[in-house]
Amino acid sequence: MNEKSLPLNGVKIIAHAAGVGAAYAARLLSTLGADCILLEGPQGSPLRTEPPFLPESKVSALFAYLAAGMCSRVIDLARDDGRAELGALLSTSDIFIDDTPVAARAALGLDEAAIAARHPDLVHISVLPFGATGPKSGWKADDIQVLHASGEGYLLPNGLSVEMFPDRPPVKIHGHFAAMQGGIAAALGALAALWVRPKLGGQYVDISAQDATLAVGAFAVQRLGDGSVEHRVERSFRYGGVIPCADGYVELLTLEQRQWDGLVKLLGTPEWAQDSVLADQLERSRRGPAINAHIRAWASSRKVEDIVREGQKLFVPLAKYYTPAEVMNDPHEKFRGLFQPLAVDGAGVLGMLVSPFHFDGAPLVLRGGPPVLGEMKVPA
Amino acid sequence: MKPLSGIRIADFTVHNAGPFCTNLLSQLGAEVVKIESAMRPDAFRKPHPVYGRMGPATFDQVSSTKLSVRVNLKKPEGIALAKRIVRISDIAAESFRPGVIGRLGLGFEVLQKIRADIIMLSVSSCGQAGPDSHFAGYAPLFGAWGALSDLSGYPDGPPVEMRHVMDHTVGMNAAVAVMAALMRRRATGRGAHVDVAAREVASSLAGEALLLAAAGGAPTRMGNAQEGREPHNVYPAAGEDRWIAISARDDAERAVLANIIGRDLSDDAIAEWSITREADAAAAELQSAGIAAHASWTTPEIAADVHLRERRAIVEVQEPDGKTRAAVGVPMRLSKGAEIGIHSGTPKLGEHEDYIYGELLGMAFAERKALEDAEVIY
Repeated sequence: MNEKSLPLNGVKIIAHAAGVGAAYAARLLSTLGADCILLEGPQGSPLRTEPPFLPESKVSALFAYLAAGMCSRVIDLARDDGRAELGALLSTSDIFIDDTPVAARAALGLDEAAIAARHPDLVHISVLPFGATGPKSGWKADDIQVLHASGEGYLLPNGLSVEMFPDRPPVKIHGHFAAMQGGIAAALGALAALWVRPKLGGQYVDISAQDATLAVGAFAVQRLGDGSVEHRVERSFRYGGVIPCADGYVELLTLEQRQWDGLVKLLGTPEWAQDSVLADQLERSRRGPAINAHIRAWASSRKVEDIVREGQKLFVPLAKYYTPAEVMNDPHEKFRGLFQPLAVDGAGVLGMLVSPFHFDGAPLVLRGGPPVLGEMKVPA
Repeated sequence: MKPLSGIRIADFTVHNAGPFCTNLLSQLGAEVVKIESAMRPDAFRKPHPVYGRMGPATFDQVSSTKLSVRVNLKKPEGIALAKRIVRISDIAAESFRPGVIGRLGLGFEVLQKIRADIIMLSVSSCGQAGPDSHFAGYAPLFGAWGALSDLSGYPDGPPVEMRHVMDHTVGMNAAVAVMAALMRRRATGRGAHVDVAAREVASSLAGEALLLAAAGGAPTRMGNAQEGREPHNVYPAAGEDRWIAISARDDAERAVLANIIGRDLSDDAIAEWSITREADAAAAELQSAGIAAHASWTTPEIAADVHLRERRAIVEVQEPDGKTRAAVGVPMRLSKGAEIGIHSGTPKLGEHEDYIYGELLGMAFAERKALEDAEVIY
């Protein structure tokens, strides 16, 4: 797919991002084809100094991933001429994404009212851990706090991990999962507001990473309404789940009868599995721990690759727990073009994840690696 | 008006990821026509023993705010009926295993002939093409394939299974992609086939770790640690199974935190301080001093939270029997237009056929009756 045919070709974005959520919103929209200028202060975005760093370099892997495909413009918003410069940029833009703390916005001319007055057609997106309104709008958070404020934090780990370590504190999801949920919700909010702009004009969209993480964890609230409170110790599949093998782990989950039938074949049709009571799905659920003991015993002497290969032939949902390096080298992802070789200043040419979306049978395409501070590319 | 007023979606999606996408779009104002049949009802209309749910869900969040019609896709007349719904829709969404929708006779090329500018969304575990595209999968498998699970967990333990948050993340990503396709259609008149691969969504949430691996690094599970934050952990609070997440990002914050704790900032020292304190009170005390902290909340605490309710991230919805319950709203606050969010619960199977078949498709009663008798509307 060439850049001109990307879906958001022609949309112009200014992103002022100190955190992952706002930057990820801009990254998603930029990868979908929008022209995105990363607005940075004279010292550069704080994301440039966020770990992890690429080996033997001072290049932030996090910044490189989030800012790939963007341009960089340095503007000092503490100065009058800087704010005027930003005003000129916003007057020709469609979307402004900002994560400045609410209390600091007015002094920089970034508050909702000031932006709306000067740029009535602009879609103004605020992305903060707890949003821009509400009693906690001023609260600070890293990802770990947002996860625990939105439910999933308390519910992890589950399955084998909590079985092995029932007394340990909950454990978080890798990286910046919650902030990225804020970013995805912000991208959705930006496009919803842009879609309706011809009828309503520009508007202000208030995004909270907590709200977004809660939204993707909605089932816990649904279960509460059904009368059950989830807990990590009980939130395990009755059978299946993380299965230790001779050389790693597989994930196994059979929800349909034919998948169970396939699993029994994969296990070699053992005598215990032919017990007539196990023909009933509800009974299998009740006897889950005993079934899992058999599955684990069977898998413990077998290799992951063999189990997955044979299981998938029988339509048993099985997956290997891939390491990052295995994903990078995976033939399926190579076929799909998930990674694009890009120059990362200070680290050479590296395979950069592009996007989980294909349009019209082709992967999207990144316009470049992360920008050098102040590097403005002239649009092609 | 709501942002997506006037947009109609023919919704063939099943399970969680696809339905959550169309649910979000319905909350933003799109008219979503959920297509099921008595032969193949939505998963939430049935027991789900592997999840431990022995009966149907009484309120299904991913089906809320949708309309329901019955179409038996096993019959050619059912496929013809589905095409009639697609003809009056802007978007057709599906989440079958790749190839199935084509074999049903509802593939993208076919739908394009029905409506030239149709946007088709296909959500699957591994994408529509590629050597693994035929693999069946659910949320924990997406996380496993995508490396997100391998990177999550205690350093000395196994990988952690991703649960429904993984499905719903796929759905929210898909909603972004569909909106981008709508924007392109407005600009160019072109439709689109949008292919969302769930395992790649899992990878996209660990993009920095994958880049690290590409550069020769070996990112691995770190428990609750986060590079660049010290301390950064979950500590015990007063009471049974109560916890608080605390972190500091620089020396200034560490000095403030050390002053509050009254000791060094080892995990043991912080735990000795926190275990004597009620989690919410301790978080409020730390936040007032500028330290990132939050109690580890249970679902009842979330459902009752003042902040989330003020933001309408938690809303009250009404069951058919009149009882109210908490539900999760659409995660954004818009300054203009009508209020977005859930406006109705899970529709009954076929509840909106008078509107869809009668008003929109102009089907006479006799025609509908004949299709019901032939188990096409079934």
